[in-house]
Amino acid sequence: MSMPAIETIGGARYPDAIDLAKVRDAHRPLATERKVVEADGNTAAAYACLQMWRAVCFAGFPITPSTKWLEVVTDTVARGTVGCKRVKLMEAEHAVADYLAGAAAACRDLIVATATSSVGLDHMTESTRSLGASGLGNILLINVYRAAANYPLCIEGDPSDALAHRDDGWIQICCRGVQQIYDVVLQAPCIGMHPEVLTPVMPGYYGIKDSHRGSRLILEPDHAIEAFHDRWIRPSQWPGLINGDTALGNCVTSQFFQGFKIDQRSRMERVLTLLPRIGADFEETFSRPGLEFVEPLSWPVDNTVDLAIVAMGPDAGTAAALAPEIGKECGCKIGVLAAQLLTPFPHAQYAARLAHVKAVLVVNQAHHAGHGHLTHEIAQACYPLPKPPAVVSCFAGMGGATVSDATWLAMVRHAVTASRRGERLPRPVIAHEGRIIWPN
Amino acid sequence: MAKLVDIVQRESCFQPGSALCPGCMEGMAFQNIGKLTDNGRKTIFTLGTFCGEVSTLQYPTPVAWGRGERTPDDWTKSFGVIHHVFESAPTVAEGIRDMADLLATTGALPGPVQVCALSGDGGALAIGLRPLLHTIARRTRIVIFVMVNEIYANTGFQYSPTTSIGAETSTTPATETVPGNFMPPIDYIGLAVTAGAGLVAQVSPAFPKYFCRVVEAALACSTTAVLFIPSPCITGWKYEDGTTITLARLGCETGFFPCFLKEEGRPGQLKFVELDPGKRPAIEEFMGPQRRFHHLVRKSPETGSFEARPGREQIFSQIRASIQQRLESLTRLTV
Repeated sequence: MSMPAIETIGGARYPDAIDLAKVRDAHRPLATERKVVEADGNTAAAYACLQMWRAVCFAGFPITPSTKWLEVVTDTVARGTVGCKRVKLMEAEHAVADYLAGAAAACRDLIVATATSSVGLDHMTESTRSLGASGLGNILLINVYRAAANYPLCIEGDPSDALAHRDDGWIQICCRGVQQIYDVVLQAPCIGMHPEVLTPVMPGYYGIKDSHRGSRLILEPDHAIEAFHDRWIRPSQWPGLINGDTALGNCVTSQFFQGFKIDQRSRMERVLTLLPRIGADFEETFSRPGLEFVEPLSWPVDNTVDLAIVAMGPDAGTAAALAPEIGKECGCKIGVLAAQLLTPFPHAQYAARLAHVKAVLVVNQAHHAGHGHLTHEIAQACYPLPKPPAVVSCFAGMGGATVSDATWLAMVRHAVTASRRGERLPRPVIAHEGRIIWPN
Repeated sequence: MAKLVDIVQRESCFQPGSALCPGCMEGMAFQNIGKLTDNGRKTIFTLGTFCGEVSTLQYPTPVAWGRGERTPDDWTKSFGVIHHVFESAPTVAEGIRDMADLLATTGALPGPVQVCALSGDGGALAIGLRPLLHTIARRTRIVIFVMVNEIYANTGFQYSPTTSIGAETSTTPATETVPGNFMPPIDYIGLAVTAGAGLVAQVSPAFPKYFCRVVEAALACSTTAVLFIPSPCITGWKYEDGTTITLARLGCETGFFPCFLKEEGRPGQLKFVELDPGKRPAIEEFMGPQRRFHHLVRKSPETGSFEARPGREQIFSQIRASIQQRLESLTRLTV
């Protein structure tokens, strides 16, 4: 079966071997026009996956609190609602990741997806670490945050799973709220499959707090999503296993290992340039905020902030709502930033925001041996500033605990006191139910 | 079945340039499988991590995989190969199979795709037993080749769950008190049959016609086909150059790794081995040339033939009993 081949440094590609138009034609839309539905976070993430014509292969193994994503996907595909798609139910998360590796490598132009959580992500580790370096940007892994350690087992939202996997090589984006979950999942392949990035994406959101919270969700029509994707996703220039004469996953000696890692790092750094452009296009297209590095939730236009709070997930919204009142009580002007892009971490963007604040309260919701995952990154971002602020680290909401109004007040008071003492990087504390509970 | 003379003239997807040991059975198997897959269908291989992978898929030294001197004009002769993690070859193959089937369903593919998984016995039967059995249980239409060399060759010839009783390995040393490995090998054929494979076989390139026939049947199988290929390891088993095929034949004929075929819904067959121990070559003939058994076998000073070392009779009884048990169990599977 003779057909032309194009030589690349990654092997030869037969551009006519796969007729993608046929796959596109086989897709059936979930929404033909914009509509408003009621959905929880898992359902929103599932809808976004099902609406992309390129997303054809799904795999999963149920784990709380991500299970409903798999249930919605299997149910919708089984009904034939979205046309020709396939769901594979595997025996374990490790197998899910291996399966996605094969499916993604088989055809680089189509998206493969799964959702998992906690130890499920840990069980995938051997594979996710390989995939992070693989150049297979067409893999989407939705991570529903849940505490990773099983001593004690805790099924509520705690991002220790995602944060323990920051070196896996994936683009990690933290979402907040049902609509943002949907929107981020829709944008994720645009960044991951971009020819200058080719890195798998791990959108994440808090288990229970967001995965199980019902909310209003605007579903965009599939054709609008297709048009948006087509502006960013082009046919892969690299051969896949089906349309290529190629080898993936070779062994190398340490001499050549360096080059592969430099390439991986360079592709990841391109995210910092491309992400805001994709986000801006999304906003222009759908009239909702698109991808951004960090969400300024309560931030004055004139940048006059004394204490900046940096947090993740839905609790950052609570902080924003409380900021004026707590600020008045503590005698300082508070601004709130919600972290969105976790990996690569946008240090420069934080530095620009934090250049003139007196102190930063960093709220970490995952256990960490040191000052906290987020604190390390913020401290690094602030280090080159001419007058770096104090970076005050708190742990709160671990194990998905509620971060109450009183807890926010206690943390702000602690940050103000510590920074007034002149401490640049005080010892971290744990706050819970309105008190600093550690150290005693 | 295609004629052997035609098969040998096909273009293999495994070419010279690998770093496998001279005399390695895996290289011979790859050569032959490579020719058998040159059958007008696009071929994709998945490799787990094993010596057959690290020795053949290196960058920047020439990759030993691929058909022809340059990119084929014919897409069906093009070749895709992926190495993923240790135990992953069957599951990765499953992902490829499903993507290819989905594309075929939409009419997006110009022709059929065949997908084969290659693993070592460590990757498939130790760390990878779970994915192997589950892929089989899902009846995925792939062919899984498992190179069984009874050791973890990649890491320096340590014990694996297929190691023969009495064999000395890097982690089952033969000492005054311990005669090498004392664990009976795992019944991998029985497990694959029970898991529901459409075809399960143990075949060796040392029996070329039979090997070709079974591999062709496997490539035509509508569900999962699993082929175990006993792979005498010149470095790990420590035998003389030039005796790989002899040992592979003896290994079968003495019952250590008998040729076997079972296709779903058909009677199976035990080949090139007698069920009656009296009609089989002595196990000492197989064990004698390998230094991994030297603590058990010696050359008789009188006759020059191999014999059990004095005081080792008990372990020989164990080995013979284990072989007989295996052959009887395989015979039951042929019904």
